[in-house]
Amino acid sequence: MPLPQLVTSGIELALNKVLLLDPDSQGRLRKLSGRSLQVKVNELPWPLMFSFSSQIDVRIASQDPQDTIADCLIELNLETLPKLKDSSQLTQLIQQKKLNLIGDIYVAQTFSSLMKDLDIDWEEQLAKYTGDVVAHQTFSSTKTLFKKAKFNLEQTAEKLAENLRQPNSVSITQNEMILFSEDVNDLRSHTERLAARIARLEQTAQIKAEQNQTKGSAK
Amino acid sequence: MSASETPESQPQQEQTTHFGFKQVDKNQKVNMVKDVFQSVAAKYDIMNDLMSLGIHRLWKRYTIDCSGVRAGHKVLDLAGGTGDLTAKFSRIVGESGQVILADINDAMLKVGRDKLRDKGIVGNVEYVQANAEELPFPDNTFDIITIAFGLRNVTDKDKALASMYRVLKPGGRLLVLEFSKPSNEILNKVYDTYSFHLLPKIGQLVANDADSYQYLAESIRMHPEQEVLKGMMENVGFEQTTYHNLTGGIVALHRGFKF
Repeated sequence: MPLPQLVTSGIELALNKVLLLDPDSQGRLRKLSGRSLQVKVNELPWPLMFSFSSQIDVRIASQDPQDTIADCLIELNLETLPKLKDSSQLTQLIQQKKLNLIGDIYVAQTFSSLMKDLDIDWEEQLAKYTGDVVAHQTFSSTKTLFKKAKFNLEQTAEKLAENLRQPNSVSITQNEMILFSEDVNDLRSHTERLAARIARLEQTAQIKAEQNQTKGSAK
Repeated sequence: MSASETPESQPQQEQTTHFGFKQVDKNQKVNMVKDVFQSVAAKYDIMNDLMSLGIHRLWKRYTIDCSGVRAGHKVLDLAGGTGDLTAKFSRIVGESGQVILADINDAMLKVGRDKLRDKGIVGNVEYVQANAEELPFPDNTFDIITIAFGLRNVTDKDKALASMYRVLKPGGRLLVLEFSKPSNEILNKVYDTYSFHLLPKIGQLVANDADSYQYLAESIRMHPEQEVLKGMMENVGFEQTTYHNLTGGIVALHRGFKF
């Protein structure tokens, strides 16, 4: 089975399904109509070619340079990929040499915005299958559950922190940490002063010894 | 047989050709193939998905990946049937390009046209009923020609390849996606059993037509295997001709350039 084509087929299906969930995305996609973007992720074996029309077509880009005439070509590592969501970062990434871009930066920026600005009403999507009442109740319950879970989590974290700061605990407060750091700094200064004084005394003793030696030999 | 020779100058045995495992008169084959596709046109897509478990979509994707198509190209999707390749080519070549979906069979062409229009694919696609052996286009017209699962149904394959070569622009390429010979003997036997025993039964069940799918299995066996087809392409002038086996050689994609 042609595995790369299976992968591109999956990416293409997912991208277009997601775009369909946001009615405003068609307008933004139209700005890219007729353009193409080649993405080479260094960790992946195949470069991908995105062609834009009323939908996004994803292909394996040919290894033959004559075949791969895209409006914009970007080359990057996997770790940089999530940063592309913010199109304002593109120039910075290029300067940091984390992103290699050849061609029209507008294509990359518009594609990045297209994905970042997706606004999907998940409640409405669910309502298509379950009806408005069930969808609304499901989402309200989920939101309440999330809120409760978040509140419980925050409280647990606070209690845990408090327990750790008790007299017999293994942790200290921030003030205690600052005081301890100041003590350490004082001790370091004292030690440095003492070391300097010892060095000076040693130097004086050595000079006196040399002078005595000179006098003895002159007699 | 060279494209310039007339049927009259041929010995009697060259007046016939195969239709599956049968030998038929060359003039009859076109109509017989037409009858097959007239019969299966309505159920063509669903049968393709069933027979190949959907893998035909990946084979066609591979063909497009190897085509080097880009905006502005002029593409001929020969024996394009229900327009799977045309749909994708149309979106990629954009408004500045053009795709011609050609098929000898009007029923297939009608199904393809209706399907593409329903998908909103209009504007840069034209539909032409054409015989691959005598393509009704001027010389040096297309950047890319594809023929997917169509060449084995053509009566005179050499003549068809020569015709494709003629209408291709210098620098253009032909892609032939076709059933071929599995490279592994065990796979070959499994495939044989599937083709001759299971396939006609699926055809009977879904399309109510076992004979057409019996023909499909037979026509696959009669189609020239990989190296032979490569030689045929080279004989009519294609250069840098290569082929790539897909799914163990059940299908092969041949690619040749005109320079």
